Amino acid sequence: MASPMVQDFTTPVLRNVDLGRGNWLLEFEAASAAAEMRPAQFFMIGVPGSDVLLRRPFSVCGLPGTFSDGRAGAVQILYRVYGRGTKLLASLGPGAPLHILGPLGHGFTSPQDKNTKIVFVAGGIGCAPFPAFLAELEREGRRATMIYGARSADELPLLDWFRERCDAVVVTTNDGSLGASGLVTGPLEQMLRGAGGEQLHLYVCGPTPMLKAVAKMALATGIACDLALEAPMACGFGVCLGCVVPTHAQPDGPVTFERVCVEGPVMRAERMAW
Amino acid sequence: MVTPDLSVAIGSVRLKNPVLTASGTFGYGLEFLPFLDLAQLGGLVTKGLSPRPRKGNPPERIVETPAGMLNAIGLQNVGIDVFLAEKLPALRGHDTVVVANVFGETEAEYVEVCEKLDEAAGVAAIELNVSCPNTEAGGMVFGNDAASLARITRACRRATRLPLWVKLSPNVTDIREIAKAAEAEGADAVSLVNTFVGMAIDVEKRRPVLANVSGGLSGPAIRPLAVWMTWQVRRAVTIPIVGMGGIMTARDAMEFILAGATAVQVGTANFVNPRAAVDVAEGLTAWLKEHNVASVRELVGALASPPTASGCP
Repeated sequence: MASPMVQDFTTPVLRNVDLGRGNWLLEFEAASAAAEMRPAQFFMIGVPGSDVLLRRPFSVCGLPGTFSDGRAGAVQILYRVYGRGTKLLASLGPGAPLHILGPLGHGFTSPQDKNTKIVFVAGGIGCAPFPAFLAELEREGRRATMIYGARSADELPLLDWFRERCDAVVVTTNDGSLGASGLVTGPLEQMLRGAGGEQLHLYVCGPTPMLKAVAKMALATGIACDLALEAPMACGFGVCLGCVVPTHAQPDGPVTFERVCVEGPVMRAERMAW
Repeated sequence: MVTPDLSVAIGSVRLKNPVLTASGTFGYGLEFLPFLDLAQLGGLVTKGLSPRPRKGNPPERIVETPAGMLNAIGLQNVGIDVFLAEKLPALRGHDTVVVANVFGETEAEYVEVCEKLDEAAGVAAIELNVSCPNTEAGGMVFGNDAASLARITRACRRATRLPLWVKLSPNVTDIREIAKAAEAEGADAVSLVNTFVGMAIDVEKRRPVLANVSGGLSGPAIRPLAVWMTWQVRRAVTIPIVGMGGIMTARDAMEFILAGATAVQVGTANFVNPRAAVDVAEGLTAWLKEHNVASVRELVGALASPPTASGCP
């Protein structure tokens, strides 16, 4: 069931910033909806009167206080122009109405143990939930390390922002145009080997093959691993049943289909039945 | 003028307004409590209920298409026992009409669910899902031809005293024949239409978008098809029709009512706007006021002749 604090509202675009190379940052006011929102929770966003029928899910990227130039009570969404929905979003200027539903789903929770090393693993636009999470960790006096991969240097939005704030950002690109050539699993494997007795907690968001690969490594080494999942969905609040993923809702139980929008989007690696 | 009368009756089932929510788009109703008061609805139709829980089809399950969407959920549901033990008691506190949508893979499964619902307090009617296109067994198999539909309707008619609505598939040669079979076997109403079977292809990957290959098409794209079928069925049977197919606004609902539907169901619109059914009901009230019509019942099937009866230029 949708959380009781979920709100369905229309609000104007405050800013829609072209970050270049197909990446955009959309800002709108969501004062009361943002107040209780967790990093990696999401909004369904639609454009009233358009011929795009369904709203699209977007992870919250910035909550009030995340970005120094963010307006009071405003939130930010990071998106990459990919299909009809995101193309439409990119055409909107300040004042254009947005049809918003949120906050939705379950977000990231930081590890209880303050000595646990926090590692973000992001693939391209999958970096979206990490700014709000990092800002929250900073307020708790904690830090994070990031492994940030993409197909090419073009697909690493907010890289400078992360570099300024994370303890370290290890970049990988499939084509070698920036950082180490290859996938995020390369540097991750080195990190896991070099961890010694240190407790790690991975927070992962990116394309499904990356999530699967990282989850597999985490499970093999017994490291805590939270995955922020993405799936096509029609409603965002649990009724269309379109966004399910195969899981073990009970450990060692049969494979079930759980909803990314309600049971997720953040799920533990051991829950997945990929 | 006084507030127009929106109440209608589908056989013995009285609805405070003619707008229900369609099965598969409204969960078990409780999911919508953050957005609306269920008492504002004419009624709600539950997700299809089977004898045992179903986990449904693997993903991908949905894709947006022009003015619509394809779904192949595969009737994932909690099963009749959990519905009766957990969902229905929570619904009883709300002043709304609950219609239970029933699905089985065999005739015996349909009968089993109908019998269990027969003893349940708080269920106003049963809607037989003989038109789901997304399961290997059951569903549309029973609604594809008049003889099969007659058999399943007869069996369920014996299994329950509750009013029986039969939800028709549009994926048939002549929907009027199917509707007549439902009427002949004692159905109290027909609801139409379920989704149209369709397919979308990911051209880059050269594969079907949906894991099930095909899915059911819903949304505004199917509205003219559904209105046409409503009009055809209106002239073929005398039992009430519950019309549906891409209703997003009160004007859309009016099309079905004028074509002969006594009530309507709002489906895909619930995904886009959780208050869609309430908005449609309120829009109907406004329309009736504006046109000085005292009761929505005056409009059921009140379609005038086309502008030029002899027509082609």
